[in-house]
Amino acid sequence: MATITFIESDGTAHAIEAKCGWSIMENATKNGVPGIVAECGGSQTCGTCRIYVSAEWQTKMDSPTADEVSIIEFAEDRTPGARLSCQIEMKEHLDGLIVRMPEKQYSM
Amino acid sequence: MQSFEEIDFFSDNSLTYDPQPYFEYLRSKGPAVRLPQRGVVAVTGYDEGLAIFRNEERYSSYNAAYGPNPLPFEPVGDDITDQIASNRGDRSTFNMISTYDPPDHTRLRLLLKGLLTPKRLLENEQFMWRLADGMIDEFIGQGSMEFISGFAGPFATLVVADLLGVPEEDHKKFRRIFTEAGMRLGSIDGVPPQESNPLTRITGHFYEYIEDRRKNPRKDVMTDLALTKYPDGSLASVDDIVNLSAFLFAAGQETTVRVMAAMLMFLCEDPALQARLRAERSLIPNFIEETLRMEGTVKTGFRLNKVQTEIGGVELDPGTPLMLVISAMNRDPAKFESPHEFRPDRSNAREHLAFGRGIHACIGAPLARAELKVTLERMFDQTSDIRFDEAKHGPAGSRKLDYVPSYQARGLAELHIVHDAKA
Ligand code: HEM
Ligand code: FES
Repeated sequence: MATITFIESDGTAHAIEAKCGWSIMENATKNGVPGIVAECGGSQTCGTCRIYVSAEWQTKMDSPTADEVSIIEFAEDRTPGARLSCQIEMKEHLDGLIVRMPEKQYSM
Repeated sequence: MQSFEEIDFFSDNSLTYDPQPYFEYLRSKGPAVRLPQRGVVAVTGYDEGLAIFRNEERYSSYNAAYGPNPLPFEPVGDDITDQIASNRGDRSTFNMISTYDPPDHTRLRLLLKGLLTPKRLLENEQFMWRLADGMIDEFIGQGSMEFISGFAGPFATLVVADLLGVPEEDHKKFRRIFTEAGMRLGSIDGVPPQESNPLTRITGHFYEYIEDRRKNPRKDVMTDLALTKYPDGSLASVDDIVNLSAFLFAAGQETTVRVMAAMLMFLCEDPALQARLRAERSLIPNFIEETLRMEGTVKTGFRLNKVQTEIGGVELDPGTPLMLVISAMNRDPAKFESPHEFRPDRSNAREHLAFGRGIHACIGAPLARAELKVTLERMFDQTSDIRFDEAKHGPAGSRKLDYVPSYQARGLAELHIVHDAKA
């Protein structure tokens, strides 16, 4: 068991007991965390599951693939640390992970 | 007319024109309600529906294409996961990506994801602009047309053909295959005969393409498709590739076509809105989302409850079929203010569930959105006004619009328009 804390843009925090093996997106949507829309259900086409991850936590994750980067660019999100939460699998060593969420997952 | 209490939603044609009063009746009984017929529980609440879409562990997609029909097995025990797995047989109804649960679903979904990369989608959109121009040229001089058969249908077919790398010289063939085929999804009129099923013919072509490209690889998209790999690096089976390709034609056809028609219908109904969108093209994306919310094509979706559970106060035994009434969720007043009003600048329009959510969420959504945008942009570029053909649909105030008879699909049967070509 591990925990993830999701912080909304207004500062509201949601701490959940996370399941390892699920993506961070699945952990959010299956626990009803608001702010992760995940329109495409993790197929990396929608860009509506964005989170912001600090540089320190990012060192513990695989770096994003070219496709992930292009989806984030397409969403016109230039916030540092932007990642697609559906592309990051929750693992034991990410216990205590804290991520922030955008005010809106849609650019329009 | 029968009362809503007595009506059988799955066979009654009187609800195809406007199902919303019936859905409001269901909503008045709660976010989930057991229908007197067929043991189906209908879900109209947005939050309740979203939670079901996102919970594939509890709700199987076994009956996604089978709908409200009686299960081919008798559910026993407190978890029917194994029963579901052993009752798929080889009927396609239970063996399509949309009906599979993990891990079979995951395997196919990852293949699809590999086809719909950002790069491929971008190339496909460039094709759409060219295609729309060419197709509008075919009818622009005529002054009037039936939009679904004259544009939307063939357009949607050829967009998927291009996505999959069907060579352009074969596009005419694909266009013809679909021209004659009618509506199939959840049809109230009964299932059309197998020989008119365009998918059988599509499948034949794809077997040829894939086998050819595996023997003679070239530098084209069809070769990439033929050489698609599973996540573990092994070559995908020809059957998986062919069935998925055919499925994309089926899933991307009627759905997109009917929303295209709805989009034009709203603009014919409201000339001021049409003028505003023509002048301010940046409003188009949100107009499209509001069209999807109000008139999304997938009216209802189905799931099968695997374990004892409760939704919106209704107790569900394992094996209870759930009807997710997307068209009602998209008009849930708790989610959308004045839900029955068409508001092109509604700020949360895009939160509609017209594409579903969760692991089965429409993988063609980016494609569909691009098709809708390109169509509208190009129609605006080439015409100065679009309006109903009143000889066919009657004058304002007494319009005659026919909808497809289906408990699963929503959309106009035909849309006759009159257009002025730009000088
Ligand atoms: C406006 C047009 C469209 C609408 C309203 C629509 C709607 C939907 C909905 C509601 C689902 C989910 C069904 C469920 O959860 O049981 C779905 C699934 C699907 N759609 Fe679409 N769709 C559209 C266009 C397209 C296009 C253009 C394509 C492909 C080129 C496509 C391919 C698919 C596929 C493959 C699935 C199955 C995904 C899975 O089961 O994992 N759709 N669509
Ligand atoms: S859920 Fe769509 S990109 Fe992550």
